[in-house]
Amino acid sequence: MEAVIYICLGLMLIFGILAVMLRSLLKSAIALAGASAMLAIIMYLLGSVWAGIFELSVCAGLITVVFISAISLSNTDKEDLPRLYEDAKRMAALPAVLIICGVILILIVAKTSFMLPAAVPAVEMADTFREIFWNQRQVDIWGQVIVVLTGALTVVALFKERE
Amino acid sequence: MEAYMETVILIVGFLLIVAGCYCLIRTYHLLKVIIGVEVAMKAVTMFVILAGFINGKAPLAQAFVITVIVIEVVVAVVAVGLALNLYRLYGNMDIRNLRKLKG
Repeated sequence: MEAVIYICLGLMLIFGILAVMLRSLLKSAIALAGASAMLAIIMYLLGSVWAGIFELSVCAGLITVVFISAISLSNTDKEDLPRLYEDAKRMAALPAVLIICGVILILIVAKTSFMLPAAVPAVEMADTFREIFWNQRQVDIWGQVIVVLTGALTVVALFKERE
Repeated sequence: MEAYMETVILIVGFLLIVAGCYCLIRTYHLLKVIIGVEVAMKAVTMFVILAGFINGKAPLAQAFVITVIVIEVVVAVVAVGLALNLYRLYGNMDIRNLRKLKG
């Protein structure tokens, strides 16, 4: 299990960096979907099955569709993109920044012997999740409904035809 | 041995947050800004799941993560709507154009 988690973590980091660094927006959106898919596998392996399903269907699926729709609705000339945003030049230092941050974090962990506590055995999953989600955290569901409605109304307001 | 894996997850999460924040700071393209936010939120989601895994309370963490995912989607959809409106107005998605908007 651990080996799969390490592989997924590595792939997630690579996809995340690609999503940020790639010049093509379409490839960025697909890389972001790849990072979401890797996160979904990690969630599944860490025992959060339902959250993994949500991550895979909503984040890897729906958000990618939204991004690709936006990209296809906006047809900026490909020749103009580098001139307008200069992304390749501006993002070039990211690998160096990440390597420096990674080395600093590893040094901190090594010097301070910092380790997270080992996981305690999980309680029974399926029924407990249902109980928590629908009964104990019921207010969250109402909050989610309000957030979704607010988002829908905002999109309607944004695309209202001008009179 | 298990704790070693969790520390690695923590480090990878921090690196993803750094990548997302760097994108927020450096890019001018509104869709790229949203992608940066999404990348950072992936790491935050992973931290919540990790906390649930360590405490043995994965069901509670899942309930939180589902709320986070819903908020993530709504933020992405609203921001994409804003980006498309910006495109309709100026012909590109440069966030520097947002400074020109009035009232």
